[in-house]
Amino acid sequence: MLLHVNPASGVPTYLQIETQVKHYIAAGALGPGDALPSVRKLAADLRISTNTVARAYQDLERDGVLRTVQGGRTYVGENPGSFLKSERVRRLRPYARQIAVEGTQLRLDPHEIMELVEQELKALEEVNEQSGNLDRETG
Amino acid sequence: MNNQAIWTEKLVKTYPGVRAVDGLSLNVPRGVAYGFLGRNGAGKTSTIRILLGLARPSEGRGTVLGFAVGREQVAILERTAFVSESKTLYGGLTPRELVRFTRGFYPNWSDDAVGKYSRLFEIPMDRPFSKLSQGNRTKVYLLLALAQGADLLILDEPGMGLDPVVVDEFLRVLVEDVLGEGRTVFISSHQLADVEQIADWVGLIDHGRLLLEARLDDIKNRFRWVTVTGNGLPQTKSPEVLLVATEGSFHKYLVTKDAEAFAAELEGQGATIAGVSPLGLREIFLALVRKEEPCTSGNVGEIAEAVSSPLP
Repeated sequence: MLLHVNPASGVPTYLQIETQVKHYIAAGALGPGDALPSVRKLAADLRISTNTVARAYQDLERDGVLRTVQGGRTYVGENPGSFLKSERVRRLRPYARQIAVEGTQLRLDPHEIMELVEQELKALEEVNEQSGNLDRETG
Repeated sequence: MNNQAIWTEKLVKTYPGVRAVDGLSLNVPRGVAYGFLGRNGAGKTSTIRILLGLARPSEGRGTVLGFAVGREQVAILERTAFVSESKTLYGGLTPRELVRFTRGFYPNWSDDAVGKYSRLFEIPMDRPFSKLSQGNRTKVYLLLALAQGADLLILDEPGMGLDPVVVDEFLRVLVEDVLGEGRTVFISSHQLADVEQIADWVGLIDHGRLLLEARLDDIKNRFRWVTVTGNGLPQTKSPEVLLVATEGSFHKYLVTKDAEAFAAELEGQGATIAGVSPLGLREIFLALVRKEEPCTSGNVGEIAEAVSSPLP
């Protein structure tokens, strides 16, 4: 099982699912056309309400990350990160603001904050490269 | 009249010297897993007894699956499965005999379900009920409830006496075979963890009154502790501010929505914001139940409505 949730956390369960699906796509572990478990299957595996999984899938479909075909099977979309750039920027802005606020409160200077973000970007890039290499080796 | 799985309006049940249920208005949508949460003696079982026609309300009214409580009780009982807290069945009968005895009452009874769940729960089908352990008695109840093919499953403290592995199996069955079929599950419990796992709606009850009713994820999205320091800050509660607490030099506000705007407003009044943090069901439950006075029932409706409205 790829996904895990912690219902006791303060983060809504559907958001935990959305974040993880997006993360797996960003990291290359899920790609265009990969199938996701049905709402019922995933809900049963995670022991959470089917409505919660349905809500997560609906949000991800609305964002173009997932698509559901006739018959109800759900796949990663062809171009999961492709929704409009302005929309993507709008989505990311709260996180950028949070990093700015938290970083300033922790008395880090702007340069140090930027450096941290760059490190994370670099780490993500490396993960992507590794999974790319793996694909080539196994393929 | 309405399409709710359970709907009540100002339900009251008084026993000599006690108002067990005190103006309870519930809205349980169809197809959800609803956690009906409260301490022991909060009025959960009394409410369920009224819904099932086992007790008559002193005031108020309600419907179950659209049928009037009290007047259309046969229709309700045919479509509702109930696992009671007190496991009192005919002690001399074995589970197999109990199945034979029960099946005739329910038009949607499934013998396949009996076979499936008796194996899954490892129930000794030929031992007298009175000789079964508490856990196995609970399993027999669950088996009979699942085999009914009911549209609504009412579970009163279902986890009692079950080991964690069986609880986990049972949660899977509830999700896959009950919720997955669009049926409604109503779980009454004081065990927050099991309920928080599966529930997508919750109602918090204390002293017979509903403190809060909303989608669980909406609560988590919007409810925040806003912790501040400062002098002369407002101490008043409102539908948006459920609770104000003082700890040392800190004031804590339990805010039901727009926490950032609320914090900004306090900042404008000279407060220093120490933090805005989300909180889990357990913290909300403790915060709301521990305080002396529950917020007035007038406020509850507004809160429930506010937090259950669609997200922006």
